[in-house]
Amino acid sequence: MSWLLRLKNALRPSRLDADLEDEIADHIERRAAQLTDRGLRADQAQRQARVRFGNPTRMREESRTVRLWASLEGTLQDIRYAWRGMRKAPVFAMTAVVSLALAIGANTAIYSIVDAAILRPLPVNRPDQLFQLTSPAIADPGMPAGEERDSFSYPEFTEYSAITKGIARLGLFSYPRQVEAQPFKAGAPIERLNLAFVSGEAFDMLGVGPAIGRLFSADDDRLPPGWPTVVLGYEYWQRRFQSDSSVIGRYLKLGDKNYEILGVTRKGFFGVEPGQFIDVWVPGTQYDSGALTNADWHWFRILGRFAPSTSPAQLQARLQPAFHRFQAELVKAYRTIPPAIKKQFLESEIRVCRAPSGASQFRQTFSRPLWIVFGVAAGILLIACANVASLLLARSTARAAEMAMRVSLGAGRTRLFRQMLTESLTLSLMAGAAGWILARLMGPLLVRLLSTEANPVRFALAIDTRVLLFCVIVSTVTAVLFGSVPALQASGAQPMSSVRAASGSTGKLRLGKVFLGVQAACAFCLVLVGAAFLFSLANLFRVNPGFDPRGVAVFGIATDAAKKTEETQRQLMFQLQRRVESQQDIQAAALAPWANFGGGGWSNQVVIPGKGPSDREEIFYRVSPGYFATLRTPLLAGRDFEERDSKDSNAGGIAPAIVNEAFARKYFNSLNVVGREFSYPSEKGIMREVIVGLASDALYNNLRSAPDPILYLPITGDADYTMFVRSSLSLGLLSRIVDREARELGAGTRVKEITTLDIIVGNTLLREKLLAGLGGAFAFFGLLLAGIGLFGLLSYSVGRRTREIGIRAALGAQRMELVSLVLTDVGALIGGALCIGLAAGLTVLTVFRSLLFGIQRVDPTVICISAAVFVATAMLAAGLPARRAATIDPISALREE
Amino acid sequence: MPPPNSAQTALDLLVLTVLDRRAPLHGYGIAIAIEELSEEALRLEEGSLYPALHRMEEQGWITAEWKISETKRRARFYRLTAAGKKQLRFESERWTSFSTGVARVLRHA
Repeated sequence: MSWLLRLKNALRPSRLDADLEDEIADHIERRAAQLTDRGLRADQAQRQARVRFGNPTRMREESRTVRLWASLEGTLQDIRYAWRGMRKAPVFAMTAVVSLALAIGANTAIYSIVDAAILRPLPVNRPDQLFQLTSPAIADPGMPAGEERDSFSYPEFTEYSAITKGIARLGLFSYPRQVEAQPFKAGAPIERLNLAFVSGEAFDMLGVGPAIGRLFSADDDRLPPGWPTVVLGYEYWQRRFQSDSSVIGRYLKLGDKNYEILGVTRKGFFGVEPGQFIDVWVPGTQYDSGALTNADWHWFRILGRFAPSTSPAQLQARLQPAFHRFQAELVKAYRTIPPAIKKQFLESEIRVCRAPSGASQFRQTFSRPLWIVFGVAAGILLIACANVASLLLARSTARAAEMAMRVSLGAGRTRLFRQMLTESLTLSLMAGAAGWILARLMGPLLVRLLSTEANPVRFALAIDTRVLLFCVIVSTVTAVLFGSVPALQASGAQPMSSVRAASGSTGKLRLGKVFLGVQAACAFCLVLVGAAFLFSLANLFRVNPGFDPRGVAVFGIATDAAKKTEETQRQLMFQLQRRVESQQDIQAAALAPWANFGGGGWSNQVVIPGKGPSDREEIFYRVSPGYFATLRTPLLAGRDFEERDSKDSNAGGIAPAIVNEAFARKYFNSLNVVGREFSYPSEKGIMREVIVGLASDALYNNLRSAPDPILYLPITGDADYTMFVRSSLSLGLLSRIVDREARELGAGTRVKEITTLDIIVGNTLLREKLLAGLGGAFAFFGLLLAGIGLFGLLSYSVGRRTREIGIRAALGAQRMELVSLVLTDVGALIGGALCIGLAAGLTVLTVFRSLLFGIQRVDPTVICISAAVFVATAMLAAGLPARRAATIDPISALREE
Repeated sequence: MPPPNSAQTALDLLVLTVLDRRAPLHGYGIAIAIEELSEEALRLEEGSLYPALHRMEEQGWITAEWKISETKRRARFYRLTAAGKKQLRFESERWTSFSTGVARVLRHA
């Protein structure tokens, strides 16, 4: 019985029963007919026939058991047989299982992240009804449009909620932010938590209930805000409080306020943004009071749930007039924005996007790179499949005699095919199991690759049926991919041809070449893509940022928020700077409100006397004296800031400023700018500036763009600020010194964060590092597999042609002729594969051009180096078999036959 | 594998022998053939024939296919496979040595 039929029997016994029924009925009828012939009456004959047959039910039961058991037993037998076969050829089995396990593991690991970050719906009730409000990006003139805007103000939320009553429910969610927390009592160690603000009914809208205690309600949306309360995330409650239910009613100090713990969200709910686990939730009304009343403070996301039968278009139409009104008011409030941008605000339309998997910053940044890596992993799987297929093919040659024997003994072709496929399945399921373990280890490592201290990324990568299912499906598909062709070949064994030993195997060799071609093309494509990403990263590393990040530690400093004047605070900051600078082995220290390259920023329009306001906003950055020396950004003219320089120092209320070359060129068309004046509009009116120094160009946001104009201003006093320290000391030692100095200074001054400028700059290259790291590793792995494949095929072909080569050698063929005999047809094959791989690779690179840096559309360096690496590998892999061909001893080769 | 002298083995041997000589046959035909050949000395409980047939089919000794019989009915026809022939040789040898052994004991005791 064929394998499929058995499966059908096992799954649908009713069909089997009907067959049995027919067989029994037929028997009894025939017996009855015979008895009638002998002269019995019809009814007597029927009864007699039944008596002689015995109990049909028992017989049916027995038959069924026999068949179902047999089908199971047959499969077990096949598996046992496959296992024996593998133990007999351990090298083959190991090679196949290891290469498949790596490929399946890589695919599963990456799928688990793609799934968690992009595909999987939020773990809430009916996620298909969820949506998010967004609006189109606003682009600076001459700049590429940025990301879609998804931020709204608190007044907007209140108004939109009222407008959409009845057709949708809205929830307000702030962006996650890191806070310092002390559970229960002052003096407990400070922890850093991920906090988000929500509207009162947001949990109810999502359909998320409490694990214990209660969550927020509409009461929490009332202004003025009441008693500060907090809801804990399940995972945080479990991790920090060991699921202790007595936390309810106790206090958690967040920042400088005590919050009463109301409850814990239910298990499995992490927030509305994949990649971010929210530890603590706080009502939106506890946010900075300015945020609750100012319509131009866009600090929140709005997610919602459609009422049944509401369409996105309907909701959009309802919201658009109000949205337009808010945009118009925004433009009025931002008096200083250029007209081109004003126009974009007034014309923009609100969007209602379905958001079953929630909102995600991570998704915006990483979805394209993740898909690329996923594609590369699929390429690896294809190579591994082709590789194992050609191994199986070579092995089936070795087993041709066995197969022929079994065919001549009467084994059915289907039976043999099934046997071979069981072997493939056993191999790939073993590889799948190993791959699964590998994926569980690699998944968290991959996430760590994407995560930074300032923006920790975490996914629910726990054992997941979706990922497990993916792994099993991939393993099975893999088995069919690599197993079926060799199985067909083997089960089609011709008993006669194996008797006529040498003939009949050319088909197999041809098939082997097809597999080799697939491998080579895929491998070259991977090498090309991997090389492009590696070169791209190398190009980024070579970019001169205009400062020297090596040896610069960056400290986040916090002070008690007790009311001090701005000037007192500023003097306190300078004191710390001087204290640190006076330590041994510390070369320089400087202050700024935030670190460059950290994503923080302030931009503003500038007004040059005699010209109108600028058409775009420029980067403004406040720094202390010593900033340029600490970062080693050369000052080209004029002077550095001094401590007495402040935002409104100097005579006549004109503040000093330092500009960079790009700024000078753009606005003054000259580098001779010291002493020139300009102004900028602000909330407090027009601010006047005089240029006291010219700095050389430095990058500010990332390494990709050309240097932007930057305007440096003197630092102002603030409770939280950043200190740069250039020193040859180790980071650990240095941070102990800075921490000691900060504590000695008093006023609650303390070190909040420690990192280095190198790390901060490196964090802007996460995507590129991901692509280069994984792309490069996969390219190497693909190349290795293809090399093994080539080596195997050539060894096999040389082995088969030993006699022919021996004869040629005996007839006086030179070594080189013999080598070229072996290599010619493979050479052509590799050449073809190179062309296909090149075309495929260039297509991939064109599609993902925006992720590359400093790589041309058809980049000769990348192509040449990839081709060289590929050809070198091929020569290495082909060299050994070719050498064997060249050194075949004609006498012994002929004697073997 | 059942012990060499069990009723199951005996039935197997009979079925294989009949199929060896007269295949293809449907179940009823096998029952009739055994009756006839043994001159009605052996009368099966006919129902027990089918589990035996299905078991042997699973073991690969016989194969079956649905055919339209001489009486225009759908019937399942059984025939011997190569493995079945081997099994038949094996079983009959064992049976012979078993029965000659028994006969010898009966004669000389």
